[in-house]
Amino acid sequence: MSVIKQIMWDEWRYWQRTRLAITVIITGVVLIVASVIVNAIGIQHAKHEREHLQHAAESRFAEQPDRHPHRMVHYGHYVFRTPSPLSIIEPGVDSFTGTSIFLEGHRQNTAMFADQRQSSGLTRFSSLAPSFLVQVLAPLFIVLVGYASITREKEAGTLNIMMTQGVSKRHVLTGKLFALLGAGLLLLLPMILASLWASFRGESSLVTGSYIVGYLLYILVWSGVVLGVSALSHKSSASFAGLIGLWVVLCILVPRIGSSTAAALEPSPGKLEADFAVLEELRKLGDGHNASDPAFEQLKSNLLAQYGVETVEELPINFRGTVAQYSEKKLTDVLNDFAEIRMQEELSQAQIARHFGWLSPAVAIRSFSMIVAGTSLETHHRFLREAETLRFEFVQSLNKVHQDKLDYQVDMNRSKSAETSKAARVDASNWSVLSSFSFVPEAGGVRLVQGGTYGVQLLFWFGVVVLFLNLAMRRMSE
Amino acid sequence: MREEMVVASSLSVTFEQHKVLDGVSFKVGEGEVFALLGGNGAGKSTALKSFLGTVTPSGGSASVMGLSVASQIDVIRQKVAYLPESVMLYGHLTGVENIEYFLSLAGITSAKDKIESALKRVALQQDAWYRSLSNYSKGMRQKTAIALALLREAPVLFLDEPTSGLDPSAIDEFNQLITTLASEGSTIFMVSHDVYGACQIAHRIGLLDKGKIVGMFEREGDNPIDTEAVHASFSKRNG
Ligand SMILES: Nc1ncnc2c1ncn2[C@@H]1O[C@H](COP(=O)(O)OP(=O)(O)O)[C@@H](O)[C@H]1O
Ligand SMILES: [Mg+2]
Repeated sequence: MSVIKQIMWDEWRYWQRTRLAITVIITGVVLIVASVIVNAIGIQHAKHEREHLQHAAESRFAEQPDRHPHRMVHYGHYVFRTPSPLSIIEPGVDSFTGTSIFLEGHRQNTAMFADQRQSSGLTRFSSLAPSFLVQVLAPLFIVLVGYASITREKEAGTLNIMMTQGVSKRHVLTGKLFALLGAGLLLLLPMILASLWASFRGESSLVTGSYIVGYLLYILVWSGVVLGVSALSHKSSASFAGLIGLWVVLCILVPRIGSSTAAALEPSPGKLEADFAVLEELRKLGDGHNASDPAFEQLKSNLLAQYGVETVEELPINFRGTVAQYSEKKLTDVLNDFAEIRMQEELSQAQIARHFGWLSPAVAIRSFSMIVAGTSLETHHRFLREAETLRFEFVQSLNKVHQDKLDYQVDMNRSKSAETSKAARVDASNWSVLSSFSFVPEAGGVRLVQGGTYGVQLLFWFGVVVLFLNLAMRRMSE
Repeated sequence: MREEMVVASSLSVTFEQHKVLDGVSFKVGEGEVFALLGGNGAGKSTALKSFLGTVTPSGGSASVMGLSVASQIDVIRQKVAYLPESVMLYGHLTGVENIEYFLSLAGITSAKDKIESALKRVALQQDAWYRSLSNYSKGMRQKTAIALALLREAPVLFLDEPTSGLDPSAIDEFNQLITTLASEGSTIFMVSHDVYGACQIAHRIGLLDKGKIVGMFEREGDNPIDTEAVHASFSKRNG
């Protein structure tokens, strides 16, 4: 053990005295620290802002004066997705899926960005998210620091001297691996601290613990790869070229190939195409604003029969409100069908791309990181579904108010004069039908189960690296 | 009979179909200074490396302290000290740090004053002890490596051209050192192309030519081996 420690210490001393490695490590750590801080501030700000906007939207809705209930259906409402605690490290899909939705009757709007500062310098820097830096740049830093760890000793002949002091290859490799892991841990440290902070901000410690373990495995995998290649190479230049090539393939090419393959295998119809298909379906449903639309004949005769009356005027309820409810339900079913199909397509694409985690640890850690952090496509879809549920509920509640609390005749006469229009209103206390919205990611356990496959991918890579290092040890020339 | 510390029996080494050692046999006893003498490319370093496990024989066998190189090299490496032909130490460390580090790899923690007295013994100038090795001359590196080999306190020392790079007075001091070590019981196996130096200190000299032992010279009593005789035999083969 003490020999391994000596070798590790000497490696650190070498990095420190030759300055190159230490410069690389410090640069990396500073970059990651800066990114963690900028992101944490940005996310914290966004969180407060969205909570505030959510609250403001709810109050604004509740404070509307007496009105015709259908005007409130069109007045609409906003919901905001508050960021998950770990999104300070891993913004995931949050950075391109939009975080707020305008909810109104008869439509499902797409998510937009809530923040106005979208293109400011701060947010542009935050696209260098800590997760990106650790997933893509940290391996490059480890390559720069470690590519010569064994070849340097071979070239200088000192590996031979080490061996003739009775040191085994296993000792040399283990000592150098620990040294390299130390550098990796330094790069990981800002992220570990940020995870602990997320834990402190309400994330479950099981989640942050697993999250950190996932990244530790990733760093371990890269340290092992770098060391193994250095052990198998005869010259530092060959080791460097090989590792840079490997980095380009694993961190740049395979992820790109993954998403291209996903897009090719699971093509999603264009937005316009999908919109036309929806419109086509909706046209068949009739216009819910027009109670005499022939599409509602069946509904009308059923109702008249149910109440045993001859005309809609005789009904104890406001037929226009009934139609609004009926048509909103039909329309929502159609919209939901299309939305589910689209989400399923997006998810299949994402899953195909995630299979490439068996080909690259960078893909594996990316999937794992997003899912566990609660910034994955799955979480976004849940936001869309919850927002839709809220939309449907408040629209239908208003339609029910329309049906039950506004007289049909008064309603029909609403556009005759200023006087009649004033009469066709309901009390503002009815606006309390809107329930408050607060979005939280799935429970920690659920996210860990969802991310399980990608945790297994990381373990698979860990196994591959252990085998690789064993091979490197046996094949390592002195 | 003295203990046999270093034994080669019918040792052969082949590099890419080229027979570098061809059935070499010799024995070195405890406390003996044995020098393998030969011209450039005779196979001296290869013979020496065969005992350290960094060269694999194609035939025959090598053993150190009764341990087979083929099967027990890890044990052997802990018991012997090796001075390579071109000294490989770390430029990022000082002379003292180099010695400390490599000793620690051998599982030895040596006190500073012990290291300093070893450096004094090999006559490395004192102002260099705590300076970076990257500014050392070849001779200074050689002395540092010899000090390291001494501090290993190994019963067997393998020295490859130990005096190359040393100035004449340093060579004299070195020869003195080897004689003392041997009288204290250390076994020394060295290879050299310096006929005069070898004759000064060796108890026995094996002449190696084209991978074969072509002559053996032995000291009679306390007199050094006859330089003339060795030289004649040596230059007959090396022109
Ligand atoms: N690793 C090796 N691969 C191939 N040939 C080698 C190797 N090491 C030594 N040789 C060859 O073996 C011969 C003897 O080398 P060496 O033992 O170093 O000679 P010496 O030390 O007597 O000068 C030389 O011709 C040299 O080129
Ligand atoms: Mg030689």
